[in-house]
Amino acid sequence: MLQDPDLILQCRQVTKQVTTGEKTLDILQPIDLRVKPGETVAIIGASGSGKTTLLSLLAGLDTPSQGEIYLKNEPLHKYDEEQRSAIRAKHVGFIFQSFLLINSLTALENVMLPAELAGDEQAQQRAMDMLEKVGLADRAEHFPSQLSGGEQQRVAIARAFISSPDILFADEPTGNLDSKTGETVSKLLFELNQQQGTTLVLVTHDNELAAQCQRQLLMHAGELQETVKAMAEVV
Amino acid sequence: MMSVWATQSWRLFRHELKRGELTIIAIALIIAVASVFSLSGFSAQIKSALIQQSNSFIAADRVLQSSRPVDEKFLAKADEMGLEQAQLLQFSSMVFAGDDMVLGSVKAVSNGYPLRGNLLVAQPDGAGSLQVSVAQVPTSGYAYVGESLLRILELNVGDGFELGNSEFVIAGVIDKEPDASFSVFTSGPRVIIHMDDVAATGIVQPGSRLTYKYLFAGESIEEYSRWAKPQVLETQRFRDIKGQQSPLANALNRAESYLSLASMLGIILAAVAVSVASRRYGQRHQPMVAVYKSIGASSFFIRKLYLLHWGALAGISILVGLLIGYGIQYLGIQFMADVVPDVTLTLSAYPLLVAIFTGVICAVAFAIAPMRQLIATPAISVIRGFAGFERRLTWLERMPPLLAVVVLLWLFSQNLLLTGALILGAAVIVSILLVVGHLLINAGRSVGSQAGQAFHLSMANLKRRAKANQVQLVSFTIAIQLLLLMLVVRNDLIDEWQAQLPDNTPNQFLVNVSQSQVPAVEAFLQQQGLVASDLYPIVRGRLSAINEEQVRRRVSKEQEDASEQGRRGIGRELNLTWHRDIPKENEIVDGTWFDNDNPKAEVSVEQELAKRLQIGVGDTLTFQIGSESVTMPVTSIRTVNWQSMQPNFYMIFSESVLADFPATYIAAIYVPGLQKSEFQDFLQQYPTISIIDVDAIIAQLRTVISQVSLAVEFILILVLIAGALVLIAQVQASMEERERELAILRTLGAKGSLLTNSVLLEFVILGAIAGVLGSLSMEIGVFILQTQVFDMSVSIHWPYWILGTILGAVVVGVLGMASCYRLLKLSSLTLIRRTL
Repeated sequence: MLQDPDLILQCRQVTKQVTTGEKTLDILQPIDLRVKPGETVAIIGASGSGKTTLLSLLAGLDTPSQGEIYLKNEPLHKYDEEQRSAIRAKHVGFIFQSFLLINSLTALENVMLPAELAGDEQAQQRAMDMLEKVGLADRAEHFPSQLSGGEQQRVAIARAFISSPDILFADEPTGNLDSKTGETVSKLLFELNQQQGTTLVLVTHDNELAAQCQRQLLMHAGELQETVKAMAEVV
Repeated sequence: MMSVWATQSWRLFRHELKRGELTIIAIALIIAVASVFSLSGFSAQIKSALIQQSNSFIAADRVLQSSRPVDEKFLAKADEMGLEQAQLLQFSSMVFAGDDMVLGSVKAVSNGYPLRGNLLVAQPDGAGSLQVSVAQVPTSGYAYVGESLLRILELNVGDGFELGNSEFVIAGVIDKEPDASFSVFTSGPRVIIHMDDVAATGIVQPGSRLTYKYLFAGESIEEYSRWAKPQVLETQRFRDIKGQQSPLANALNRAESYLSLASMLGIILAAVAVSVASRRYGQRHQPMVAVYKSIGASSFFIRKLYLLHWGALAGISILVGLLIGYGIQYLGIQFMADVVPDVTLTLSAYPLLVAIFTGVICAVAFAIAPMRQLIATPAISVIRGFAGFERRLTWLERMPPLLAVVVLLWLFSQNLLLTGALILGAAVIVSILLVVGHLLINAGRSVGSQAGQAFHLSMANLKRRAKANQVQLVSFTIAIQLLLLMLVVRNDLIDEWQAQLPDNTPNQFLVNVSQSQVPAVEAFLQQQGLVASDLYPIVRGRLSAINEEQVRRRVSKEQEDASEQGRRGIGRELNLTWHRDIPKENEIVDGTWFDNDNPKAEVSVEQELAKRLQIGVGDTLTFQIGSESVTMPVTSIRTVNWQSMQPNFYMIFSESVLADFPATYIAAIYVPGLQKSEFQDFLQQYPTISIIDVDAIIAQLRTVISQVSLAVEFILILVLIAGALVLIAQVQASMEERERELAILRTLGAKGSLLTNSVLLEFVILGAIAGVLGSLSMEIGVFILQTQVFDMSVSIHWPYWILGTILGAVVVGVLGMASCYRLLKLSSLTLIRRTL
């Protein structure tokens, strides 16, 4: 076991293959990655390069075909769906491109959700505080369909941070927003991230957003390369 | 404090209910429960009211008939159960008045007779004229007599006559005897005396041919029947109004079938609605499950959450369904009050239980598969989306809904034949649908490529979503089919039934017409222009051997249970006739009718009797007629419509066999009210001719039919609601995918009018295809019903094909547009935002 206890996220020789019909496709070539606590990492790359697949493996939503993934020293690759669920509940927060709020719950109830699942008795108060932080306290009782895209993503951010996750995964968090709203949302994301000292792993097309992260990784045809800020401008 | 899953579940439930997201599934469940509750309660009450009314035709709820006094235990048990009782003793005996005499058909009755219906007797009022009123049993020493007795013996009310050793005074003329024999073969004028007078007449001797009838009526009659039936001896018969081979019994049984059928169609439709809506429920909740899981909720948590959510939904829906069902029952009974005065709204346990059970079974059986799929939604769907995760259901997973429908239908109708016919029909229909639907959508695609742009786009859409559309098509088709089937039942089948009792249905039977009177009777009928059946000669004879094997040995319990005529025909004497042409309403099913140019000794046998005796064309039968014995081959097997008010025969011979035997004749005649007095005058000249008045039975038959038709109409409304719900639920289920497509097309620059037209066309085409398929499957359904359940001739219903197709196109088109209207009105930006 070569895991480094100082790393929050580590993967070794992780691959992913998908079988469609008789063909087997290699989505990810063997990938190694080490992320320290508090680091912000952007994974950039063209569509179909495999970046979202990698994100889903890192977050424990899916399992690799080969290789090892450790999140907070937990061997995700060995765990079944239920165990990975428990790890996510404890350590992970999410922000999705399509927001994925629960339509039948109010903004406040959506934000409360992770805290409630974690058994936090102050869930409601903390959710109100979070909404305050993202500037939506007055929209607490609104349902997602009554909110604009930017507002929905702010609610999603509040939901992601409420249980102070150790690591936050964001999948194209500004992808569905116009550039101005996108800016507001990303600003909020990094602010909260800094306040809570959360590790952030985000997948994006948006170079400006990627540039705000400490590290940029380039995904190309299933291979991951560390890149410098300047190079990111080129991609 | 509530646990987290319960809080979440309740919170979702509360919001979704308020926001109308559960409306469709709730309404589907409510309709299933409400319709089962109202229909089973309602039709049970209509049925029991009909039977109650009809019971007057046997003067009781049940009759135990025997040729000897029955065991005391039957009477003691009835006493114990608080049933009303009365006894009858029937026999034939000579009635004397001076030098005249006639063979009378005597009925001795005990106090209390009749238990159901009324005995109407014309008795002298104070002013000396006869007044018809409801009469009690005659007091000792007095008798009520049939009018023909007065004619034959030239007596008047107040005169006396002798019967055995006793003398009786005529107290009145029988106007209506509730349980007058349905058999046209009873003869001899009726004499009713009190049971207490029988002994004194000295007529009842060992060896006398007697019929004892024990009448029972009361609330616990069903329970009594269950107790009594197994104890009834082979020589005894225990029967209710439906257990006889009479037109009325047939009508009642058929009425029951119609009511059950109509209600079952409603239940199937409601079940389809629940099934469609629960699928939709599952799909709609998938994103929620994925989000819950991505945040770290366990499967166990999700399972508990949805168990509660679904449970609360089902529980509340069932409750509301019961309330609404009760309301519908109330309305229905108000609606029927004019025609069925005896119906009252009573809350009985069985419909309530069946309704609750229906709700539970629907909620469980139809939810299992969608729920399992829902709970299995993987967390990764938050990234990959929900397409492709829906597994194909295994056969095992498809079974619960099918089983549920079978159980429900059977529970509801308690009629295996109907249930089987419906299920078989449904299976055939669904398989045809899947194949034909696929072919049609494919065919449309190639036509579409040559048609306009909107048409092309809509066909492309249909084709692309072929699989989803197949499911939609099946449910649209089933909805349309059941609606059409209901309409056909309401209109054609009931009309056809009604047509079997036209206005000039014979209402009088002439019996005992002698050979010498035949010309006079024929002349009278012609002169009065009366509609009559042919005159049929009757020769009494006994079937003595089949293929030269003595027949006695073949008599079994089954035959003892058969109808009055059938039993006498086999066990005792049979009414034989000969006829040159095949009678109306008879149909040869095997062999050929007599060749009159080439006269031979032949016999034609009724199908059911032939089955019971296990005889077919080619067997030879030997009959004992008087002292002679005749043998002839069976050359044809016939069906007989026992519902027709015509003289019907088990055995019809070729002329050469019976022509030389002395015969009496019978005929059925329709005598309109206005001509009744001429008819009476004519009969006055021929006192030996008896008439049997069946007006009352015909009136009751008509009532049964009109009540059933009204009740079916009422059920039709419920079926319509359920049908509309299926359509709405199905259209709604496809909304999300449509939303995504519209967004894409909009983005690609499709004009609003093009999108509107293509959506409209897509639904119209889908609806029209469903209409055609619905009509086709309706026709299959009707065929199964006509041939297997109602014994009717097969017919095709073209107008309904047109109606079905147009109805399908218009209704599905309108519903589809109405549901998409909101989407079509959205700006492309909003659409894209909402969906991508």
